[in-house]
Amino acid sequence: MNIKRVLIYSILGFAALIYLLPLVVMVITSLKDLDEIRSGTLLSMPQALNFDSWDKAWGAACTGVSCEGLKGYFWNSVLIVVPAVIISTVIGALNGYVLTKWKFRGSTLFFGMLLIGTMIPFQVVLLPMARMLGFLGLAGTTSGLIMVHIIYGLAFTTLFFRNYYISIPSELVNAARIDGAGFWMIFHRIILPLSIPIIVVSVIWQFTQIWNDFLFGVVYSSGDSQPITVALNNLVNTSTGVKEYNVDMAAAIIAALPTLFVYIVAGKYFVKGLTAGAVKG
Amino acid sequence: MHALKIQNIEKIYGKVKVLKGIDLEIQPGQFLILVGPSGCGKSTLLNMIAGLEPVSKGNIFIGDRDVTHLDPKDRDIAMVFQSYALYPNMTVRQNIEFGLTIRKTEKSEQKKIVEKVSKLLQIEPLLDRKPKQLSGGQRQRVAMGRALARDPSIFLFDEPLSNLDAKLRVEMRGEIKELHQREGTTIVYVTHDQIEAMTLGDVIAVMKDGEIQQFGPPQDIYDNPRNQFIASFMGSPSMNFIPCQAEKVNGVIQISLESGNEKVKVPIKQNIKGLEAYADKSIILGIRPEQITQQGEDKPDSAKLNCDVELIEPTGPDTLVTVRINGVKTVCRIHPTAESKVDKLMPLLLDMSKVVFFDPDTQERVY
Amino acid sequence: MNKSSAPRQSLGELLPKLVVAPTFVVAVIFIYGFMLMNAWLSFSSSRMLPKYDWAGFIQYEKLFANDRWWVAAENLFIFGVLFIVICLLLGLFMAIFLDQKIRAEGAIRTIYLYPMALSFIVTGTAWKWILNPELGIQRLVREMGFESFTFDWLVNTDMAIYTVVIAGVWQSSGFVMALCLAGLRGVDDNIIKAAKVDGASMPLIYRKIIIPGLRPVFFSAFIILTHIAIKSFDLIIALTGGGPGFATDVPATFMYTFSFTRGQIGLGSAASMMMLMAVIAIIVPYLYSELREKNNEH
Repeated sequence: MNIKRVLIYSILGFAALIYLLPLVVMVITSLKDLDEIRSGTLLSMPQALNFDSWDKAWGAACTGVSCEGLKGYFWNSVLIVVPAVIISTVIGALNGYVLTKWKFRGSTLFFGMLLIGTMIPFQVVLLPMARMLGFLGLAGTTSGLIMVHIIYGLAFTTLFFRNYYISIPSELVNAARIDGAGFWMIFHRIILPLSIPIIVVSVIWQFTQIWNDFLFGVVYSSGDSQPITVALNNLVNTSTGVKEYNVDMAAAIIAALPTLFVYIVAGKYFVKGLTAGAVKG
Repeated sequence: MHALKIQNIEKIYGKVKVLKGIDLEIQPGQFLILVGPSGCGKSTLLNMIAGLEPVSKGNIFIGDRDVTHLDPKDRDIAMVFQSYALYPNMTVRQNIEFGLTIRKTEKSEQKKIVEKVSKLLQIEPLLDRKPKQLSGGQRQRVAMGRALARDPSIFLFDEPLSNLDAKLRVEMRGEIKELHQREGTTIVYVTHDQIEAMTLGDVIAVMKDGEIQQFGPPQDIYDNPRNQFIASFMGSPSMNFIPCQAEKVNGVIQISLESGNEKVKVPIKQNIKGLEAYADKSIILGIRPEQITQQGEDKPDSAKLNCDVELIEPTGPDTLVTVRINGVKTVCRIHPTAESKVDKLMPLLLDMSKVVFFDPDTQERVY
Repeated sequence: MNKSSAPRQSLGELLPKLVVAPTFVVAVIFIYGFMLMNAWLSFSSSRMLPKYDWAGFIQYEKLFANDRWWVAAENLFIFGVLFIVICLLLGLFMAIFLDQKIRAEGAIRTIYLYPMALSFIVTGTAWKWILNPELGIQRLVREMGFESFTFDWLVNTDMAIYTVVIAGVWQSSGFVMALCLAGLRGVDDNIIKAAKVDGASMPLIYRKIIIPGLRPVFFSAFIILTHIAIKSFDLIIALTGGGPGFATDVPATFMYTFSFTRGQIGLGSAASMMMLMAVIAIIVPYLYSELREKNNEH
């Protein structure tokens, strides 16, 4: 190994360290008690494995007025994410199928319209949406948030499926039509079995986007219906007495765990989604 | 009774007319080839016969049924695609059965059909494999099996051999022809390859720019092309087009040919009335490479000319020699044993009995 | 016979349209309709409650007369430029280094990219702790013996915006790296071989052939990063809360504050329209060039 490669490896290694450091700091801080935090530094190791702050973050920390920890909000997020991901992925798949295999006059224009939807800053729809949710009686509810996430996720899921299905030869669909299969049968028997990779990409993308969302959460939810990101922010900013950094860090890790987990088990698809969704978005 | 009748079919995309009024008719058991350069509309026409593309104007009949606006599934057709279009998630057997299942054919009947078809195409050992485990030739066979299983009244083939390598292509070509002869199926076959067209077709429709240029049996199209496009498209190497001056001497039309320093005047003995009009004008002589050979025994209607050899390309059974006649490169097909050398003069014999003439302006045949 | 063969809209042709119809309706209402409604609000006199009247450019005049808005705009400019440039450079160089047939490439790539899986709220919370002057990096370095070391950017009005840059780069540069790496892997091997045969050195090949070939990748990375920068909201809320004071306000936080906590809906919608304009100013040339390239292919 020559000097050049040693240099390359050390640069890469150093960079990796920098990227890892915040996570490491979060984990060790969450395991310390407040005295250790005050007397030590960022990188000093905890004396013992102490999960008290995790317990507190999960079940007892104050998030604004209530002091019941993150657990309720964690389940809120789950409750929002699951239906929103499933519905937006299903609709996206059907849209992609129509936009590539059953094109009609104006279908390209329709796709272009949707594409712009992936690019607008959501701030321009915040106020009208708030009014609409009020009008529908969904203001401050989980159902309202689910609806918002489905609507503004559709452009992305449609984009994913459309770009994937465009590489499935149309001859396959033609062959099936001549064999006598109709719209649904072709989707179900021919297209769907080929869609597993893109379904994974879409599910992961939507999952991380919705789980990590803060903007819609903070604007459209209130009190008990808040998602975990909003609760985490409240927890960190609730100043009752002493600042408990260990609880903050434990709470942050809890909020990050689901998406980190997905990233670690399905990183390949995660990257694909990022590039696919973002190259155009 | 016709098997397929196409009446004044048009296809219009926006403002572009892709097909400009096509009329065709074939009999049961006929093998029709649609051939032409890419963009001529042949695949569009096939897709319209299949029902995959809506018809802008005109009618299509299969047997005596007007199928113009029927769904593909109701037209009693089967199709073999260029990419084979095998369902990747299904085994070969499931691929063949798919159309039968949708049509609710009995299970026992399905089994019989799969057995028969796979035997016919020798794909029995492949039945439980997935398409991606098959070679190109095997996929081709399966695609044909899928079509055969349906026993439709017309088979449609969309450039089915173009994804195969040269050797396999020739092999499969033979098999398709054999199958056609044995089963007596009616086939519409799209290709851009004129050799496929010649070897397979009972009738050929040569298409260009959304129109049928000529419709007829292969040999007739080869021997009697209606215009320069057809003459150059059918046949490889292509027909030579030699511009020459015509004149009338003693009531007989003569054309002058020259190569190097030599110049000859060749009287046209064929009875071509239209030639009269070209006296003292220029005209295009169409002569196929095999009609220019080495000199040997004299033929009744021929001309001799010594030509400067520019290029020699042996192909095995014969040798292609490029010479220059009237200033244009002219390809001749000579016997491999005939002596030829680049930059040397070679005595050639032009068989004038089958030559054709074209108008230099319209490029139409002079009859 | 002519009657029966006349083209008709069968259910089969209608079905695909029916399937996409809901999405179409949703897009028309919730994207375009809302954009128009929002535009209207920005020309209305709305304060606490939305009022659909016509007040001309009042809200925009108020916006442009608002110091806090200009701080937000300037912050977005500083943050945007630094965030984009640093992310692009870091991403490119890490991708080039990673492209040298590195052992454990997969693991290293995973490490560079994991921050992208986190919520900006989590990132902000973590960096808020790390950059905390009392107990964070400042303390760490002082403990190591550099007694006079100061690193109080988080609470320093002039420097706080740069902490947002640090956290933002940490989160997003790995993503640029992934994009660049994919681009590098897409370079035709034959071109590199040809250049080597021509006697070019590797650095020269990178400089003259490979990096110029990454142009489209840079372009999309640039668009995405710009987009992230303009929309950035959560990171600032979690890291600085827009403070100290409103020193780290950006248009997104400005819009949120005025619309939802200060009851200045008209002003907030005007601010969001400005954000939309910024995105359009960047996206339109991008789309234009994309479409032009596509047309050239035909």
